[in-house]
Amino acid sequence: MARFRYLGRKVAWLAITLYGVVTFNFVLFHVLPGNPVQLLVRSGHLTQQAQAAITKVYGLNHPILVQYAIYLRDLLHGQLGLSYTYREPVSTLLGQYLGNTVLLLAAATLLTIVLGVLVGVIAANRRGGRYDSVTVTTSVIGWSLPTFWTGLILVFVFGVWLHAFPIFGSQTPNAIYASPWLRYEDIAAHLFLPTLTLVIVNIAQFVLVARVSVIEVLAEDFMLTARAKGLARRRILWSHAVRNALLPIVTSSALLIGLVVSGAIEVETVFSWPGMGLLVYNSVLNRDYPVIEGAFLVFAIVVLLVNFASDLLYQALDPRVREA
Amino acid sequence: MSAGIRRREFLKRAGLLAVAVPGVATVLDACASVVPTAKARILRVGWTIEPDTMNPLTTYSTEAVEVLQLVYDQLMHYDLELKPEAGLATSWTYSTDAKSITYTLRSATWHDGKPFTSADAKFTFDLIKSSKASQYYQWVQNLVSTEAPNATTLVLHFSQPQAFNPGLAVPIIPQHIWTGMSATKIQKFANAHPIGTGPYKFVKWVKGTSIEIERNDSWWGTKPAASKVSWILFQNEDVMAQSLKTGAVDICPEIPPTIWKGLSGAAHVKTVSLPSFSFHHIGINVSDNPKSGGNPLLKDRAVRLALSYAVDRQQLVNVALDGLGTAASTLLPVGFGEWHLDIPESQQLNADPAKARTILTAAGYVDRNGSGVRTSKDGKPLSFRLIAIQSTSVDVAAAQLFRDACAKVGIQLKLTLLDANSLGSTVYNAHAPNWDIFVWGWDAGVYDPDYMLGIPLCNQIGSNNDVYYCNRHYDQLYNQQSVTIDHAARLALVHEAQQYYYDDAAYIIMWYQDKLQGYRTDTWQGWQRVNGGMVLNFTRDNYLKVRPV
Amino acid sequence: MVRPIVAAGHVPGPDEGPVPAVSSEPVKRGQLRDVWEFVWHDRLGRVGVVAFVLVVIIAVAGPLIFPFNSAAVTSTSAGVLLPPSGQHWMGTDELGRDVFRAFLSAAHISLEVGLAATAISMILGAAIGIVAGYYGRWIDNLLMRLTDFFLVLPQIPLVIALAAFFGQSLGIIILVIGMTGWPTTARIVRSQTLSLRERQFITRVRSLGTPDWRILRVHILPNVMPLIFANTVLVIGGAILAEATLSFLGLGDPVQVSWGTMLHSAFDAGAIGRGAWWYFIPPGVGIVIVVLAFTLTGHAIDQALNPRLRGSR
Repeated sequence: MARFRYLGRKVAWLAITLYGVVTFNFVLFHVLPGNPVQLLVRSGHLTQQAQAAITKVYGLNHPILVQYAIYLRDLLHGQLGLSYTYREPVSTLLGQYLGNTVLLLAAATLLTIVLGVLVGVIAANRRGGRYDSVTVTTSVIGWSLPTFWTGLILVFVFGVWLHAFPIFGSQTPNAIYASPWLRYEDIAAHLFLPTLTLVIVNIAQFVLVARVSVIEVLAEDFMLTARAKGLARRRILWSHAVRNALLPIVTSSALLIGLVVSGAIEVETVFSWPGMGLLVYNSVLNRDYPVIEGAFLVFAIVVLLVNFASDLLYQALDPRVREA
Repeated sequence: MSAGIRRREFLKRAGLLAVAVPGVATVLDACASVVPTAKARILRVGWTIEPDTMNPLTTYSTEAVEVLQLVYDQLMHYDLELKPEAGLATSWTYSTDAKSITYTLRSATWHDGKPFTSADAKFTFDLIKSSKASQYYQWVQNLVSTEAPNATTLVLHFSQPQAFNPGLAVPIIPQHIWTGMSATKIQKFANAHPIGTGPYKFVKWVKGTSIEIERNDSWWGTKPAASKVSWILFQNEDVMAQSLKTGAVDICPEIPPTIWKGLSGAAHVKTVSLPSFSFHHIGINVSDNPKSGGNPLLKDRAVRLALSYAVDRQQLVNVALDGLGTAASTLLPVGFGEWHLDIPESQQLNADPAKARTILTAAGYVDRNGSGVRTSKDGKPLSFRLIAIQSTSVDVAAAQLFRDACAKVGIQLKLTLLDANSLGSTVYNAHAPNWDIFVWGWDAGVYDPDYMLGIPLCNQIGSNNDVYYCNRHYDQLYNQQSVTIDHAARLALVHEAQQYYYDDAAYIIMWYQDKLQGYRTDTWQGWQRVNGGMVLNFTRDNYLKVRPV
Repeated sequence: MVRPIVAAGHVPGPDEGPVPAVSSEPVKRGQLRDVWEFVWHDRLGRVGVVAFVLVVIIAVAGPLIFPFNSAAVTSTSAGVLLPPSGQHWMGTDELGRDVFRAFLSAAHISLEVGLAATAISMILGAAIGIVAGYYGRWIDNLLMRLTDFFLVLPQIPLVIALAAFFGQSLGIIILVIGMTGWPTTARIVRSQTLSLRERQFITRVRSLGTPDWRILRVHILPNVMPLIFANTVLVIGGAILAEATLSFLGLGDPVQVSWGTMLHSAFDAGAIGRGAWWYFIPPGVGIVIVVLAFTLTGHAIDQALNPRLRGSR
């Protein structure tokens, strides 16, 4: 029963935080100077009627509280407003770009966690040796790299210099594929460098976490006892180390999602990967407020939900942890 | 290390390899597919700005018009010499008083199979006139009535003689799709599958990536060689230029100066520099609105003249444009040919700081406190706010140079960089424009002096008139030229209008930038040079006339 | 946007910071020397400190010895994007200006922004963390919700919003990074304060009737300071990275030259395609070295204060 009450409280707080984020988002973007009419006047003759029509379409002729109410109502229907540059619903736009971003983020997250943990475990096993110090040093340097700069270097080395990998887009434009597998291969080739960028920059976390967890486990007394008894080292290693590392890895993963999502903007910009990050970047350039608003709302919600989920997971895994 | 870990590690490594090998294979394949070939007969254009919408009545973007002009036909089109040629109208005649135009229309079919008739053309003009909302409205402001006496004739009646024939600008849209839409509905209509009568049918628009159109085999004109045309969006001009080098695109219609220079000498790539119909300018707030926050000293013509003399436009071209443009003077760029007024260099208000100082001193602006900034007789300093768009690097460079040049004649400029939206809303705040000087630019909307000359009109305050200039004499000149059909007479008036506006120095036009383009020589041939660009211009004929190599 | 620094091996749980650098007694006078001893003898710590000193020297002395004139724009196109030479040690940029001098000037700016933003986030974070941890109950709850809220606040829209009113500037960047950086610090400080509060000497002093503010100032604060200090050094690295990213995306101060804006200009001017490596490699390397310096030093200080963390060597 206490469990449910606790869960209920957490959900309530989540809802309140979400509401706060939504309202803050609205306030932030609706007190800003500039509206689509002024954006367009620059481009050509904009008649008074046209200005009136556009104002009406965007609902800018209502008082601000009414706009807020409309905003909330639309939000419940999954509508995020109308883009200033494309004059299309923001949700449609986001949907068109979402798939690509999910692909990139999934690949990057998976590779970072898996590779990071593996490298960290091996480093722990070979602690003090060259593999260990090289790994730790490289990871720490990787952490210090700006994401976008890493992308730029990869573009330069692999794209401009070596011509080894494609450096823009998600597919070769106008390519005709003899089979779906060739298409997937093309996408994979385009996916390689952006994913690599995100992995290089974020892997340190997991390498270090995994490494420390394993080292701690190896040093524990019961390990000596177990080895004395002759139990295979690797079995102990895996069962205990993994369990020990699981908690921090879960939390790191939650952090990673947040980092990777924001890193996506940089990576997609540098590699012209047609995902939500790129949409955001262009919307920032064009000051297309509804799109920026919508995209960051989605981002905030995703991060909140992921943190919430990881909290629950943490609870389930470690009964020692309780709210103060 | 124990075998267990080794095994897992091996699996992992094998897994990586399994991904890598096809990856490398794909790369090699990709390289192969990137070898230029026109076999598939797709004409690929690379650019860095996307259209905003496929709705011709709500778009204000040049890129959208570029795509739509191949999907929709007009009554008349510009040919490769920028002269009118037949479109949906095979011939057109003016009435004796030049207030009516009669078009003889050909038969054609809409992309959805329905037949095109004069009813569609009449509907188009009526809709633009009644909804009063689109970039084409300016050409039908004087439209009084339209007639379609039979299926192949359209008559337009205007209240004034029309020097510019609107058939050259307006895309003809199908009545059976657009009928019954209110102005608000039109604004919201995405027109995701545009239906026109043009040489190409719309296929798809993958936002953020590319637009594709395919040939319309029942088009009334000569079949173009390209079975498909595709515009590919790049996020960055650098990557776009790289793709031109590798052959991933066939032509790039807008390349920035530094990158364009880097392309010369690339294998199978030809770079061209063409006169454009655009300029970049320094605008001075001369608003008479009592609520205006602009510095009143700028209403003194002596100050504006000094600002004009202080700057060396050629230096701006050299540095900001890497030399790829022409030092500017009047409102109509050199690309407009004879319409452009050529002011002899000795009479230009340019590059003469000594003269600027003389003018200022004579007008009573002297450095009274040794600060390096001149002040008026009542102690007001010649210190103004300068704004420019941060993402337009050529403007930023120009603004910095302008500021430094003005400092040398005793005028202080405080530079702030803004994003395009903020600059637009600051400048176009017609109620109370609170700014002094900006750096910005204009592109001509049509190939006719009317557009550019029509910017600084009194009735354009609240619309295009970005410096709030209002002068009765100038308005008179403009009105006269827009109804003068006789070419020689109109030419003289257009020149006079330019000279008048130039002398008033509300605009300091810095340069006419060259249109820098590049194309591959090993895929398509037959590219004709046209003032304003081979593509992304008022004429679509290059798309229709190129053939595979 | 900012990568939260995590002391190796100790990742914050959902409602706590990393394991606090708990000392069983109040701060000892010789602790500073002990910390220094440890850091200097730790290999990575030493590298960090040396890099740190070098960076400070370059950032302070560099612009004085080689001043950068942002208005020294070339008047012909021949001076644009030149490779390194005797005259220009790092070549020229897209406006013909000396990249080496720009690099030094940018070092100064980038550090300035990093330090200022960190100052804001540390002061805010520490204050909120201490108050939340000490007073507990509903104050703690409220402040933690506030922390959660600020934790999901993305930097980009904030910069855009502020810039729309005030124009893009360094001040806005500093403000935004500071405003989005304090939650992590607050959490860490709160954890430490929480555990300190339960310590015997605190309960003793409270039962004596000492006023709260005195306890905070005399007993809590000095014990939290080492942790705050260690955390500060780590946060500076993140702040510098954040400034570089925001500037690269075009949201930085267009008039000032920082490493981020240099990379932004390089990207825009097509330096990568033109192979102008002297323009886009040095600023990035600069950022990496500075961030490394702070990270390694901060990490070593963290370990010095918390012997538990040392096991990971």
